[in-house]
Amino acid sequence: MTSQRLLTAYTWAFLLFMFGPLILMILSSFNDMSPPSITEWRGLTGKWYNFFWVDEATLRQDPVLRVLDRDRFVACFGNSLYVAGFVVPVSLLLGLAGAVLLTRWRSRANGLLWWVLLSPMLAPGIVLGLSALVFWGRLGVNAGLFTIIMAQTTFVAGYPMLILMARLQRQPVELEEAALDLGASPFRVFRRLTLPYLLPALISAGVIAFMASMENYNTTMFAKGGSCTFATEIGAMARNPNGHPPVINAVGTIIILLTVVFATAHAVLSRKEARA
Amino acid sequence: MHGKDVRLEGVQITYPNGFTAVQPTDLTIKAGEFFSILGPSGCGKTTILRTVSGFVEPTAGRVLIGGEDMRGIAPNGRPTALIFQNLALFPLMPVWENVAFGLESRGVPKAARRSKALELLDLVALRDQADKKPGELSGGQRQRVAIARALAVEPAVLLLDEPLSALDLKLRQHMRAELREIQRKTGVTFIYITHDQGEALTMSDRIAVMNNGVIEQVGTGDEIYSEPRTAFAASFVGEANQMQGRVCGLDGDMAVIETAQGRLLGRNPCGLKDGDEAMLFVRPEALVWASSRAPDTNRLIARPVRRDLEGSFVNIVLRTNTGANLTMHQVNTGAEIDMESDASVRFPCEQAVVLPKGPLAQTGQELAAQ
Repeated sequence: MTSQRLLTAYTWAFLLFMFGPLILMILSSFNDMSPPSITEWRGLTGKWYNFFWVDEATLRQDPVLRVLDRDRFVACFGNSLYVAGFVVPVSLLLGLAGAVLLTRWRSRANGLLWWVLLSPMLAPGIVLGLSALVFWGRLGVNAGLFTIIMAQTTFVAGYPMLILMARLQRQPVELEEAALDLGASPFRVFRRLTLPYLLPALISAGVIAFMASMENYNTTMFAKGGSCTFATEIGAMARNPNGHPPVINAVGTIIILLTVVFATAHAVLSRKEARA
Repeated sequence: MHGKDVRLEGVQITYPNGFTAVQPTDLTIKAGEFFSILGPSGCGKTTILRTVSGFVEPTAGRVLIGGEDMRGIAPNGRPTALIFQNLALFPLMPVWENVAFGLESRGVPKAARRSKALELLDLVALRDQADKKPGELSGGQRQRVAIARALAVEPAVLLLDEPLSALDLKLRQHMRAELREIQRKTGVTFIYITHDQGEALTMSDRIAVMNNGVIEQVGTGDEIYSEPRTAFAASFVGEANQMQGRVCGLDGDMAVIETAQGRLLGRNPCGLKDGDEAMLFVRPEALVWASSRAPDTNRLIARPVRRDLEGSFVNIVLRTNTGANLTMHQVNTGAEIDMESDASVRFPCEQAVVLPKGPLAQTGQELAAQ
C-alpha cells in the first residue's frame, strides 16, 4: 500500500515538474505586467496577444510594446517558414533515400553507413552550425538563410530516415519481389508499392522535420550570419536585460495550443487507421 | 497459354556464407506438367524455385526455360510467375488491381486491364470480390487471387512455394483439386514446392524427392510410393516399416537381408551385392495376419500393443519378440484384435524393397523433440 502511495506521489511530482513551468507561462501571458509575473497580478489582459495585429497608433501608446520591433519579428518568422520550406522536402528526399538504402541494400557496410548517416543527429548542434559557416565561407558563400538551410538539413534529414526505416522494415520484402516477378520495373515497384505504403510515415516525418527546423536554435545561431529566424529572434528578445516582454509568453502559449491540436488530430487519425 | 519445359543443367547453389543449398543437379520438367518438389524444410527446394524464377543466380550450371538460357535475365524478364508462401498480395490495392498488376507493368491500358482481370477472377470464381481489398477476403479467396494474379501475365511456368500451407485441412484438400483443375485448363507448367507428401501425391504428374540439397528420386507418384530408390524416399513418402541389416543372399532380382528379426526377402532394385549394408522397407498396408498354412518367408512373430482407429482403416502397432515396432494398416471391418497374445504376421516379398543403407526422414517423434 505504501509503495502504491509513493508511486502516486512520484507521478504527481513528475507531472508538476513537467507542466508547472508551462502553466506559469500561460498564466503570466494574461497578466498586464512586464516583465511577466504571476505573483503580482495587475489584471487580465489580451494585449500581449494583440501585439501581432493592433494598429500602429495603439502600439505606440503602450510603454512596453512600443519598444518592440514588430516588423522585424514578423520578418524573422517569415524567414523560418522559408527555411523550413526547403529543409522539409530536402530532408524527406534524403531521409527516404537513406531509409531505402539501409533496409533494402544488404551489405556489410550497412552498420557503418547507419552511423555515418545518423552522426549529424548526435553531433552537437554548435559544431554543425560552425562547420557549415566555415565550409560555405571558404566557398565564398556568406552566412545567411542558405547556410541555415544547409546546416539544418544535415541533421534534420536523420528524423525522416529513422521514421521511414521503421515503416519499411515492416513491409515484407516478398511484396517487392512479387511485383518484380510480375514484370514491374524497380521504379514502378517504388511508385506503386513502396511510396503508397510509406505515405502516412512521410506525412509524420514531414511534420517532425518542420518542427525540428522551426524550433532549432543552436545550429541556426551559428549559421545565420546577419539574418534571423523565429527561434533566434525569440532568443534575442528573451535576453533583454530588463526582463523579457510577455509577448514571448503569448507566443509560447499559442505554440502549446497548436501542439495539442496537432497531437490530438494525429491520435484520432491513427486510431481511425488502426480500426480500418 | 502454353507451358514451356524447364531444364536444370548441373545447377549448384552456394550462398555467400559458404552453405551449399543445392548440390549439382540435373532435372528436366516437361512442358505442361504438374511437377512437385517434395522434401523437408531446409532441403533446398525453395532455393531451386527461386533460381528458376531468377531471384537467385546459380553458382554453377544453367537454367533453361523453353530451351532458352536464363543466365543474366532478371525475374521481370522471365516467362515465369511465382506464388509466394505468404502470397504477397498488395494490401493497398483492390483485388482487381492486384490481378492486373502484371498487365499494368506491360503498359496495357486501364480498361483492357480491368476486363482481363475480371476474366481471370471469373476463372477462380471471385468476380464479385474484384473491388475489395485483399485484407477483406478469406484465406482461400486470397489464395485464388494470388493464382489469378500470377496467371494474368500468361506465364509459361507457374512456380508455387507451399501456397496451401497456411490453410486449414478441408480448404487445403479443396484447393488441391482446384489447382489441378486450373493447371489442366491452362496447360501451364506448374512447379509446386511442398513438404506435404499428400499434396504431392494427389496433384502431381511427377514428383522429385529432395533431401539435403540433393534430388533423391524423380518419378510419378506411384513410382515414388511403390518403388522408392533410396532409404530417404522410402521413409519420407508415406509410412514404412524399416529393418536394418546386411545382404546375405541374392535370388534373381530379389535380395535376402539378415536382420535382427531374422532373414527377410525383398526386391533389390538397386542391385545390392552380398555383404552390403542395407535396409528393408515394407508399407504398413502390405502386412497381413499369417495363417498357419502360409509360407515361412517374411513371417514375423509380434504382439499387438496399440490399436488406433483412423476411420476407414485401423492402425495397429505391434512389437516383435526382438523389441522392434511394426505398423500395420487394416481395412476397418469391425473385427476384434486379440491384444493379449503373440500373433504371426507376414508380407509378400514383392511388396518389400531392399535399399542401400542411408539417412532416413525424421519421424514425427524426432520432429516433436526439436
